[in-house]
Amino acid sequence: MLEGKLVNLRALEPGDVDREFQWVNDRDVTRYLTIRYPMAKGEEERWLNDRPANDFRNTVLAIETKDGVHIGNIGLEDGQPENRKASLGIMIGDKTYWSNGYGSDAIVTLLRFAFHEMNMNRVWLHVHDFNEHAQTCYKKVGFVEEGKLRQNAYQEGRYFDTIAMGILRSEFDELYGGDADA
Amino acid sequence: MLEGQLVRLRRPELTDAERCYRWFNDQDVVGNLIAQRYLISLAEEERFLRGMPEMSYSNGGILAIETKDGRHIGMTSFYDVRMEDSQAGLAITIGEKEWWSKGYGGDAVLTLVGFGFHQMNLNRVWLTTVEYNKRAIACYKRCGFREEACLRQDVFRHGRYWDFVQMAILRQEFDEQQEGGHRA
Repeated sequence: MLEGKLVNLRALEPGDVDREFQWVNDRDVTRYLTIRYPMAKGEEERWLNDRPANDFRNTVLAIETKDGVHIGNIGLEDGQPENRKASLGIMIGDKTYWSNGYGSDAIVTLLRFAFHEMNMNRVWLHVHDFNEHAQTCYKKVGFVEEGKLRQNAYQEGRYFDTIAMGILRSEFDELYGGDADA
Repeated sequence: MLEGQLVRLRRPELTDAERCYRWFNDQDVVGNLIAQRYLISLAEEERFLRGMPEMSYSNGGILAIETKDGRHIGMTSFYDVRMEDSQAGLAITIGEKEWWSKGYGGDAVLTLVGFGFHQMNLNRVWLTTVEYNKRAIACYKRCGFREEACLRQDVFRHGRYWDFVQMAILRQEFDEQQEGGHRA
């Protein structure tokens, strides 16, 4: 369990399937992600049951409130040991918990783990240009905008730009302190 | 065969293995390449060429770069093709160093990009280069690619982290520049 101020992060369990199934089929949620096709419950079950243990290359964790409500997932993908970097993805699937600081707290908690336990040097992410709410959140946490990928994503009848962002370990330590319980 | 002004592109053959083996173990060549870090054997190169899937929209594909008189000087490819977003990543290596800085790489890039936009119906082609590869960055700009992002400390090579420059060209930009008779 990784403990944040508002949330805890834990490994996913097969019993999370009903919530996962609902979230990844909710277009209000997925229009901000790269999920596009409807997913069957069986596919979701297989994914939860068959996914390998969390490690440097790929980690997915459940975000829980302090009273144990599972509200979304957060993860690091494409971990590259030579370059000590990974990409961050997050979904708050339970819409009633949007805009309350849970996402930011989950990100800071995972970044601390990435930089101080996994020995990452850089964490990066991509976000749709129309998702201004998420961009504000990422900047507040400490991500720096690094560029704009033109016409990078097609959905809802047109191409949208994608914003590239990144945070370095040195920047994280300056903002949150290098010690473990900052 | 895809015909450019200076080069033609063809699918790799098993007989290319020895040249690829030499290039992808040459530190002057791979020092600029991001995906290529570890040494490879001739047997691994042959296995790779033998197991290569056919070229298609979803597979992308690797092409050999030849001069017009049939000399194999490098490789170029589309990878990470995303169907819904109609885009692909482009990679290129001129392995024969005496053919560097003579316009062959730029011609190969424009030839492959033209194929991507006009035969595959792509909308966007992107690529990344490590910041110290100034020759490549200048070449891509001449081809019409625009710098879109500077990914800080994105890659570790030669004892330290380096920024990655991400560039892209859109189909509309390519068409406008072709109408203007532009060549790299």
